[in-house]
Amino acid sequence: MKNTLSIALLTLLSTSAFSSSFLDSVKRTKWGDLDVVLIEDSKFPRYNAAFYFQDGSINDPFSGATQGAFDQLAAGTSKESQREIAEFFDFYGVNLKHSVTHEYSVYSVQGLVKDAGPVMGKVCEIFNDAQYPQKELTSYVSRAKSHLKNLVTSHASLADRIFRQLSLASTPYSTPVEGTLAGFDKLTPVGLKERLNELNKAKKVLYLTGPSDLSEMKDVITKTCRWSSETSLKRIELKKPAPQSAIYLIPVPGANQAQIRIGRYITPREIQGKYDNFSFLSGFLGGGFTSKLVQELRVKRGLTYSAGAYVSMQRDYGRAGIMTFSKTESAAEAISLVRDVFQDVTAQKFTPEEFKHQQGHQIGGFSFGFEESSAFLSQIMLYDHQGRDLEELVKFPEVIANLTLKALSQANLEAFPWDRLTIVVVGDKSLEKSLSRIRPVRVLNYQDFL
Amino acid sequence: MKCWLLLLALLLGCSSVKESKTLSENIHIEVSELKLDNGLTALIVRNPKLPIFSLQFFYKVGGKNEVPGITGASHFLEHMMFKGARRYGKNTIDFIIEGSGGSTNAYTTNDQTVYYENLPSSQLEKILDIESDRMENLLLDVDDFNKEREVVLEERKMRYENSPRGQLYLELMQTLYKGTPYGRSVIGDIPDLKSVTREQIYKYFKRFYAPNNATLVLVGDVSISEAKKIIKNKFGPIPSSPSVEEAHKELKEEDFVPKITTDVMVARKGESPNPLFMLAFGSYKAGHPKGYALDVLSSIIGSGKSAALVNQYIMIEKPVATSMYAAHQSLDKSGFFFIGGELVRGVKLPEFKADLQKKLMGFCETEITARNIQKIKNNYLVDLYGGLDTNAGLGSFLGERQLVFGDWRFYKEELNMYEKVTVEDVKVACKEIFAKPSVFVSVWNMHK
Repeated sequence: MKNTLSIALLTLLSTSAFSSSFLDSVKRTKWGDLDVVLIEDSKFPRYNAAFYFQDGSINDPFSGATQGAFDQLAAGTSKESQREIAEFFDFYGVNLKHSVTHEYSVYSVQGLVKDAGPVMGKVCEIFNDAQYPQKELTSYVSRAKSHLKNLVTSHASLADRIFRQLSLASTPYSTPVEGTLAGFDKLTPVGLKERLNELNKAKKVLYLTGPSDLSEMKDVITKTCRWSSETSLKRIELKKPAPQSAIYLIPVPGANQAQIRIGRYITPREIQGKYDNFSFLSGFLGGGFTSKLVQELRVKRGLTYSAGAYVSMQRDYGRAGIMTFSKTESAAEAISLVRDVFQDVTAQKFTPEEFKHQQGHQIGGFSFGFEESSAFLSQIMLYDHQGRDLEELVKFPEVIANLTLKALSQANLEAFPWDRLTIVVVGDKSLEKSLSRIRPVRVLNYQDFL
Repeated sequence: MKCWLLLLALLLGCSSVKESKTLSENIHIEVSELKLDNGLTALIVRNPKLPIFSLQFFYKVGGKNEVPGITGASHFLEHMMFKGARRYGKNTIDFIIEGSGGSTNAYTTNDQTVYYENLPSSQLEKILDIESDRMENLLLDVDDFNKEREVVLEERKMRYENSPRGQLYLELMQTLYKGTPYGRSVIGDIPDLKSVTREQIYKYFKRFYAPNNATLVLVGDVSISEAKKIIKNKFGPIPSSPSVEEAHKELKEEDFVPKITTDVMVARKGESPNPLFMLAFGSYKAGHPKGYALDVLSSIIGSGKSAALVNQYIMIEKPVATSMYAAHQSLDKSGFFFIGGELVRGVKLPEFKADLQKKLMGFCETEITARNIQKIKNNYLVDLYGGLDTNAGLGSFLGERQLVFGDWRFYKEELNMYEKVTVEDVKVACKEIFAKPSVFVSVWNMHK
């Protein structure tokens, strides 16, 4: 273990040097009204353009509106059909993706530099002129509903969905971004056009990586895209989560394994100035094979194949959680063990060696976040969204090296107070008896969460 | 053509392009090779961008090398390889790797097992020492063995027993490759997993996990001369396996060919409210010339929003499916072409199958165009860039080819094969494959 710390300290010296130089490579500029964050990467003649929209599903008039506006963006314009648009992007080998969160949305375009002009022209065209034709929308709604009704085929995904709705029940963040069966029925061409119009007016930033000469892309975006940055996200203030007294059991047919989710939402006030402490905590609890939960649940007892922990933050809300699973017979034991681990960490019942090991893990692993320019840009995007200074990113290894055992136990106490944690179990209905030994059990129907 | 040359010019910044007629003459990736007397092959590429590296060990052993009674042995060993070796003791390997900021994992397929680590450059000697220790002196502690048996059974539940998609894939392989080693489950049959002994696994380990059955690939900020010196020092003394060559020779290609002679339909009850299906046809082993045309065919009909299957079954007013895909899977001794998807409720499976097979034959005439083939080549280019962006990505690219084709340079041949694929080649391959006997497997909660 001595060795681990000395490696970490050595790594610290080298990482602070290269992370500063990586930060120097981040250029901030403006293309017309559009803020641009650029990292030059000439390794391949391709680019990755991620358009950040400071608008997300929190502004949905009904569940799934923002997701639908992006999903059906290329379903047709006044000039071209869905098939023609798809054919265009596929021919150029363009990889189009979008992700919607409650607070922001990202539309990513990845392609070859030589085609950047026409491709970006087409992107602007669909944002300017998406028509959301009824025929294509009907098909989309039919598929989305069918797919959602079949979510029971993935117990893990179902558990994630239900956990959000229950653990964030008293907040505007409980509604699933991807939509609900009731929400899909409200999607109309007019409603989606209105939502797109709002997105086009939302504050935007382009996070771009690629070779230095992307002037054609700049010309197209500034001249063709009718984007503005008039609106920004309204602030929302949350109260701390209320105490929890039950375990929610959601029976699914034919399960011989239980999916377990434990956690709560957190407020910015709780995490302010302590992002890195919570990041360290999530790694300590469930960030690898040597993390506390994996050691206790998997290595020592063979109860599960995997266990993970996270403490993540957007701007106005965050989440702290544990994800694992176990066979029906041992699900209650697994939950009790998670509780014991929380208690032990809060009581500082862990060794200095375990602590130093995690320091080594996080400091030594810091370099890997810079290997792919697009991944580095995603980190910058999140920092910007949260309103954090990028200098914090550079200082991460130093902060971790100076962290104390007490700070870790305090972070655990703040993130995972047992009486405020929501517990969701998706599995066989016979689990009710064993789970009731931990907390009273409330049995819910999974179909009510679709 | 222009795109491909550009790709090759930029591979890791270690490549160069000359004006020449064939792609293979234009490629030069700077790989430093080492072959030890005991048979170990090592490939090393230097990339000084960051003080990190990726190390990967490709062992030529997987589900196809197992026999009834020890199905799942390669995957079980994948777990046990992290449990300790003589010099490093019990349960220390993960701690050493993660404690220095690294990450590690492994995966097992029908044909190979791959162990990989991503680490800071300062850890090169240490990790090579660990890898050599577990290759030579794996502990296989009985207590750990029995605990890990439970973990493997949990993994099996997660991937297959509680996953209709996992059930579908297992059923497909068991039906298409019935009576061949590819018909066995890579993760193992439950009775075998419950009964397999430490001694059986140890014997299997000693036969297959040896220098003459492994390829080491190292990519990152390392000194090539120093790395070679350490590799020789750590792995040179490990004896080769006297019986591994014989084990590979015993596996005859003809024993892996699907034996179906007529269309087969399998309906399996599973917890999916929507029917899930896969339709498969036997094809060719990796590297077979006809396989490249089938790769292109699968992309034309199944990749992207403009693909034929998407247009026919998904992007229509009354969708028949919520997702559809097609792929050509090339294995070491055989291969198969498959189409799959999730259908909407109410679709009658026999009618759907008949309609699909009719449409597939129709695609051979309507969808195989010069523009569509160019489209697929453009997409392959973008995918290649993505795949080679990291040390691990390049390591995997080289290691796969070394293991399957015996030479990492085989990618040149592959690129040329894709470059040469013509409309006529794909049309011929299309008509040939869809005329073969097929296996249609579905998983649905309405099945009895």
